[in-house]
Amino acid sequence: MAVAQERAPGPAALQRRGRFRPGDALLYLVTCAAALSGALLLALITREILVEAWPAMQKFGLSFLTTQAWGDNNKTLFGAKSFIFGTAVTSFGALLLATPLSLAIALFLTELAPGWIKRVVAPLIDLLAAIPSVVLGLWGILVLGPFITGTLGPAIHGTLGWLPIFASKPTVGSNMFAAILILTIMMVPIISSICRELFVSVPSELKDGALALGATRWEVVKGVVFPYARAGIAAAMILGLGRAVGEAIAVTQVIGNNVAIHADLFKPGDTLASRIAGQYQGADTALQVASLVYLAVILLVFSLIANLTAQLIVRRVAARHNIR
Amino acid sequence: MKEFVTRRKRPLGVLSVLVVAVTAVAVGLTTGAQARSSADELKGAGATFPAPLIAAWQTRYEAAKGVKISYNPIGSGGGISAISNKTVDFGASDAPMTPDQFNTCGGCVELPWALSATSIMYNLPGLPNNLHMTGPILAGIYLGQIKKWDDPKIKAVNKGVNLPSTDITPVYRSDSSGTSFNFTTYLNTVSRQWKSQVGRGTTVNWPAGVGARGSAGVSGVVSRTPGALGYADIAYALKNHLKFFSVQNRAKKFARPGLAGIKAAALADRKFNPQSNELSIVNPPGSKRFAKAYPICTYTYVILRIQSDKANLLKPFITWALTTGQQYGRPLIFEPIPKYVVARGKATLKKVHP
Amino acid sequence: MSAQAPTADLFRSEHMRRRRIVNKVVEGVATVAALAAVAVLIIVVSSVVRSGWDAINLDFFTKNQTLYSGFGPRPASGIANAIVGTLIIIGIAILMALPVGVATAIYLNELAPRKLANVLTLAFDVLNGVPAIVLGIFVFVFVVVGHGQAAWKASFALAILMVPMIARSTQEVLALVPASMREASLALGAAKWRTTLSIVLPQAVGGIVTGATLATARAAGETAPLLFTTALYSADTMTYDPRQPIPSIPMFIFTSAEQPDPVLHQQAWGAAAVLIGIILIASLIARWFADRSVQRLKGER
Repeated sequence: MAVAQERAPGPAALQRRGRFRPGDALLYLVTCAAALSGALLLALITREILVEAWPAMQKFGLSFLTTQAWGDNNKTLFGAKSFIFGTAVTSFGALLLATPLSLAIALFLTELAPGWIKRVVAPLIDLLAAIPSVVLGLWGILVLGPFITGTLGPAIHGTLGWLPIFASKPTVGSNMFAAILILTIMMVPIISSICRELFVSVPSELKDGALALGATRWEVVKGVVFPYARAGIAAAMILGLGRAVGEAIAVTQVIGNNVAIHADLFKPGDTLASRIAGQYQGADTALQVASLVYLAVILLVFSLIANLTAQLIVRRVAARHNIR
Repeated sequence: MKEFVTRRKRPLGVLSVLVVAVTAVAVGLTTGAQARSSADELKGAGATFPAPLIAAWQTRYEAAKGVKISYNPIGSGGGISAISNKTVDFGASDAPMTPDQFNTCGGCVELPWALSATSIMYNLPGLPNNLHMTGPILAGIYLGQIKKWDDPKIKAVNKGVNLPSTDITPVYRSDSSGTSFNFTTYLNTVSRQWKSQVGRGTTVNWPAGVGARGSAGVSGVVSRTPGALGYADIAYALKNHLKFFSVQNRAKKFARPGLAGIKAAALADRKFNPQSNELSIVNPPGSKRFAKAYPICTYTYVILRIQSDKANLLKPFITWALTTGQQYGRPLIFEPIPKYVVARGKATLKKVHP
Repeated sequence: MSAQAPTADLFRSEHMRRRRIVNKVVEGVATVAALAAVAVLIIVVSSVVRSGWDAINLDFFTKNQTLYSGFGPRPASGIANAIVGTLIIIGIAILMALPVGVATAIYLNELAPRKLANVLTLAFDVLNGVPAIVLGIFVFVFVVVGHGQAAWKASFALAILMVPMIARSTQEVLALVPASMREASLALGAAKWRTTLSIVLPQAVGGIVTGATLATARAAGETAPLLFTTALYSADTMTYDPRQPIPSIPMFIFTSAEQPDPVLHQQAWGAAAVLIGIILIASLIARWFADRSVQRLKGER
């Protein structure tokens, strides 16, 4: 979210009349080519993915999004409905858990914690972001799964079993609930670090003013910090969501790979990214490969929209409040 | 200016020292381990079903002929796609390739090189091994209709066994699997509802249960989950000390997935499919000849490109596997393939050239 | 700068005590949340260390994985080839990503007209959010199909992941270099390219190293791109050739985690400990460099 504080004088201002500097031209060419590579790669990635998915897009069209099937008798029918459902449930479920947690953590680190606690806790939470997804998946299979079937699941089912989302007792550690917990662990550091920067950037005059008027700390947060940082918090949530939607490895390790659509979180399911990771190596018909890449198209479209939206919000906020 | 220059060099200096140190350590640690050129190596990938047998072959073939065989068990579908994409020298699959897949492969041959059984493993602590199971019950479980272990249908074939009222968790292969192909072919023959609702294939719409990658993955979930039930090559059940069912064959006898059961089942089909050399020995007939047959057996196949740079290494290896290699399968419950299958394999192998 | 008026009506409630209680409750919740996050971290890392500790010995770092087919317990070996493979893959990825990232940052910060710079920066920020699995498919379709897997292709996929991060952190540190330095150099008659390379860039080296190290830490743990580009290797040999698929630590953890063998689980924990160790060291180095370079640019060194 950085915006350059000082811009160097542009090239036109510095060019001596009549004097051609080949070194400058070379620098321009090389660095410009490098900088264009980002946009070029985006275009190339989109093109290659679309081309590869084309046979499936042609055959199924948009009905792909509403078909619940993956491989029939003759391997001629594929549909994304189960995975769109699974992606939506796991990602939004994780967002629901992660957002209040992240806001609370950001508040703790900016408003409440004394300096030495801040210096210890902040890097630890950043370290949580650095744990590779495959390690979280390993932990999910061997530690979290048994914990859910042994302790947490029966407890939740016992108290909240009347809710359709906890309707059955988990019999196996691979289910959507495990995926939601793992995704929450991944989202919290991202959202909380962005929110931390946002809360720090709230002008202290506003906060001090509210405090001077007799507001409690929480009322300052509720009345000044949150409204000020509203757009940024939304952007942080969208970025976290984008991360969760794209997570393939940890999810495929714990979600159970089932195509059924049901509200019960203690049953297995599957997401777009997880199905691609699980089946791509073994896709043995051209249509199956194209269908898997069609799933990737859906994933790419969603992540591009989510990222673009979040980045545009961030830029608008930064421009308005002139924060770094 | 001098101060400026020294300061600039320091982070780079530290960094380059770090890089050199790490490289030196890495090289030092690894001088013990040997690296081999790819010239005398054969690369393969595919089904997890024959992986235990191929692992046994790898060490012995390298000791005998000095050629290294590397094998990645990524599933039958992975084997078919890897050989079609030319990323490996040979592919392995329990499922015969379809005509479309032969077209995509563009000049490939397939031949059976091993023979074993798909065991139905279960995790029921405290209960004995080799409980009884029938085809229709199995279909009911995987259709999600039979949900608990103390269902009357299961009790009926296991009289005197104290079955718990635990939920049954059926486990299936989430990746493209020849073992799934074999298992669903079997379910097709024992359940009309399965045939119409789900059907057979390397990837199907499993109505109930949990998916896992590879035979090892299925064994893993079954071993971790009380009340789970899954299908995988018998070697995996034995390796991981998992219990497995005696399944009822068409002669109404409950057969175990052992060498005798496989040998009897292998007699069920002697007609090779002309393109894929498939022999389908699932659910043999109920005559006396097949009284001991285990109903869920399968051949497993190797796929080769007709034109291959490694043909001069491949042909001796496959010939060895078809003949000398078969004896190493017995301890892993791979029954040596019948002589007419060996002959057919050698004849098909003649088509492969450099 | 427009101030946002507090939207909560602060004087509606006259019950000071209730407001104080609510305040205390919220403070408590925030503290608990932060502690919960730290607790989760400690739980995960302690699982890794506790379970992986027994696997880690000298053999673990010097022996390759073994192919094992017997029925008895598997003998414990090592992940030497996976460690070396990860170092090779990451090393080539850095070689690919660092020049592109730094050159991009130079262009966007020093040379480009502002509007173009904003658009291109947006492109990189969006590229940063493309899921790693989609990058894996892209690289597979682009260079692997028909040609075979190779370690450098995995490095290529990881480099795409790393470039936006390196470009962003280099941009941030280039922006911290005072304009007066550039102006002084140009006023003395140096060309733009000379100014950039000899005056501005050296000041930014600390930040570049920070960015590169953080990007490396992220790329070291990515598994999805490796699935498509370097998954078909021989588990028990050491390969140095980047034109072949080679083993790597994330792939080892991924394949070992789903197996039923408890020895493999223990080795997976050990590999996870090594991976977290590498990432931790990289993050600490990055933080140290970041602090140093910021301090220097602020004139405190």
